[in-house]
Amino acid sequence: MARQKPIELFMPPNMLKAKVGGGTGGGLDMAAIKRAETAMESLKGEFAGWAAQDVQKLEAARGRFAKTPDADARAALLRAAHDMKGQAATFDYPLIARTAGSLSKMIHDTTKPIPLGLVDAHVSAIHVIYRDKVMDASNKVALVLIEELEAQVAAFLAA
Amino acid sequence: MSGYRFDKLKILVVDDNPHMRKLVVTILQAFGVIQIFEAADGERAWTVLRETNPDIVIADWMMEGMSGLELAQQIRSHPQTPNPFVPIIMLTGHTHIDQVRQARDAGINEFLAKPVSVKAVMTRLTSVIENPRPYVRTKVYFGPCRRRRAGDYQGPERRAETAKQAAE
Repeated sequence: MARQKPIELFMPPNMLKAKVGGGTGGGLDMAAIKRAETAMESLKGEFAGWAAQDVQKLEAARGRFAKTPDADARAALLRAAHDMKGQAATFDYPLIARTAGSLSKMIHDTTKPIPLGLVDAHVSAIHVIYRDKVMDASNKVALVLIEELEAQVAAFLAA
Repeated sequence: MSGYRFDKLKILVVDDNPHMRKLVVTILQAFGVIQIFEAADGERAWTVLRETNPDIVIADWMMEGMSGLELAQQIRSHPQTPNPFVPIIMLTGHTHIDQVRQARDAGINEFLAKPVSVKAVMTRLTSVIENPRPYVRTKVYFGPCRRRRAGDYQGPERRAETAKQAAE
């Protein structure tokens, strides 16, 4: 096919490689990975406090949204849920991550007004999972609850 | 073993969540990176970027104010950018294909999906060091080539046409 518009394609010099050198065969630096995993382990003592702060942040965002459900409050609630989705698995709360994922999907995937009742159901579920320290991704009671929330979100988005 | 001199790198970490920033910074420090700059939002990141001219930017997508995507676009196209070629690794919980395309179109080099793992961080760093992508300049885009392969592309600008059709 004939060229229709000017396209400039070029390879800048690899200054990064020149700076850091190394790279025998492009393999990963396993010693550095080991050091970092050890450092991550040492952070785990702080994870409980971090998770508590994230739950509080989500509850505060829910409170703001309940009081004034405007675009800013909705965006803040989405950010809180999205952060939690991204971090809870790291903090060993995979079911909080899944619940927060369902909440952020409900807010993100539509421009419709979101039902406060369904927001509250997600926030309450997260609160209970955190309060009861449910870290097992196969916890049956929690799974039933989360599957119900996901089904409700799917029905809301489809309506 | 890669044998990289990570101690020579300057990395900017941008995330409005202090816990996620600490997590990423801890991993980078364990890799041996010494010069790590932090910013809690896109506006602050732009200031720090211009002051420090980092070698790599790791930025969260979803932030209040200037998002990671907007920051990436600014880094690539703003007249006062210190380095339009700086590799940008997008830290995100978004994994839907449309969102991946959106980030690619903003000029990001690599994705780092949450939850963050040590190996994923190392893999993305290694990728931007070892496998830099060619850059493309068109009327509507400047940034890393959105195809993985270099080549003398002579075809139409399909993305521009698609964007134009969508706008119409």
